[in-house]
Amino acid sequence: MMGAYFRKMAGSNQSPPRVSLEEIFWSWLGAFLGIGAVAYMNYGWLDGTGLFLLIGSLGASAVLIYGAIKSPLAQPRNFLGGHVISALIGVTAFKLLAPHLWLAATLAVAVSIAVMHATKTLHPPGGATALIAVISGPQVTSLGYFYVLMPVAAGALVMLAVALIVNNLAPRRRYPEFWW
Amino acid sequence: MLDTRDKPVPAPTPGIEIKEADILEAMRAIPGYLDITPGDFKEVYRLAFQHALERLSREITAAEIMTTDVVTVAPDTPVAEVAAAMGRRGVSGVPVVDAGQKVVGVISEKDFLTRMGVKEPMNFMTLVANCLMTKGCVALPIKATLATDIMNTPAVTVPPDTPVKDIAALLTQSGINRVAVTGPDGRLLGLVSRGDIIRATMGRAAP
Repeated sequence: MMGAYFRKMAGSNQSPPRVSLEEIFWSWLGAFLGIGAVAYMNYGWLDGTGLFLLIGSLGASAVLIYGAIKSPLAQPRNFLGGHVISALIGVTAFKLLAPHLWLAATLAVAVSIAVMHATKTLHPPGGATALIAVISGPQVTSLGYFYVLMPVAAGALVMLAVALIVNNLAPRRRYPEFWW
Repeated sequence: MLDTRDKPVPAPTPGIEIKEADILEAMRAIPGYLDITPGDFKEVYRLAFQHALERLSREITAAEIMTTDVVTVAPDTPVAEVAAAMGRRGVSGVPVVDAGQKVVGVISEKDFLTRMGVKEPMNFMTLVANCLMTKGCVALPIKATLATDIMNTPAVTVPPDTPVKDIAALLTQSGINRVAVTGPDGRLLGLVSRGDIIRATMGRAAP
């Protein structure tokens, strides 16, 4: 009984194969242009306005929508849905539970995963989006629910536009697998 | 508790076992990062294949695959004529039907061999060996008998809406090679042999 339990921790599967150089190049290019677009707007246009567009979870999303574009986790439904739903949950957790930030942070992430699962929008960076809403201090928390629209939805839409343009330029790539 | 990792996963069909090396090769052939381990893919493949086989054999019925152009004999047909008819048509079994086309029995090659004193295993090569070691024809002892004397009765029959899956199980369990398909009144509609099942399954499974 215990033996079987601990044997499960040994792992019984193998890692998928390494992708081709071509695939590595297009992943790099997509991330460069996608994060580049959001970062340029963030630092070039919004500097000093108090608004911003670049949040850490978009870096995580870049891995999926430029690096693992066939994954169900990387499709527009998951990408946009996961970020927006998690942002809503994160802001709500902060509003309801601050100043108990440890509990707000915990529930923000746990509830986000549960709701993303239930709505078929599971997108791992969504967990970060929910967490950012709680832990980032007044620059973010003062936005309230505006956080959901900007930076989250706006930033994600810019990244999605770049994903559609760049991923489909590659001869052996196609994005998305499904929209909804 | 058993460790399932060390046990070979049973193949959906003997001889069609996909290896993880095959899956890795396939994953390399598809451009882009596939978000699944070869082991998980194998599990998906195995279950999907099983599902497809089950669906195919559930959907096909006896009526769709049976041979309707069946050679039959009457209970009072002399076995010499039964043998000649089987030889002419190249079949290894015939249903025995009465005047009303009702199936009363089945005669297969094995029934001849049994009556001819061929010892286990009752197959053609044992018969050849017997022939070569004795003078005269080993079929002589049954020369005067009739179909009704050597037939298997009652015949194993199925209704026309029987799924092929059930027929395959029946053939395996009973150790026979064909079943007669009969209507509600017991009249012969056709015959389903192992060959019919294989042809039907392969034809449907091919893309």
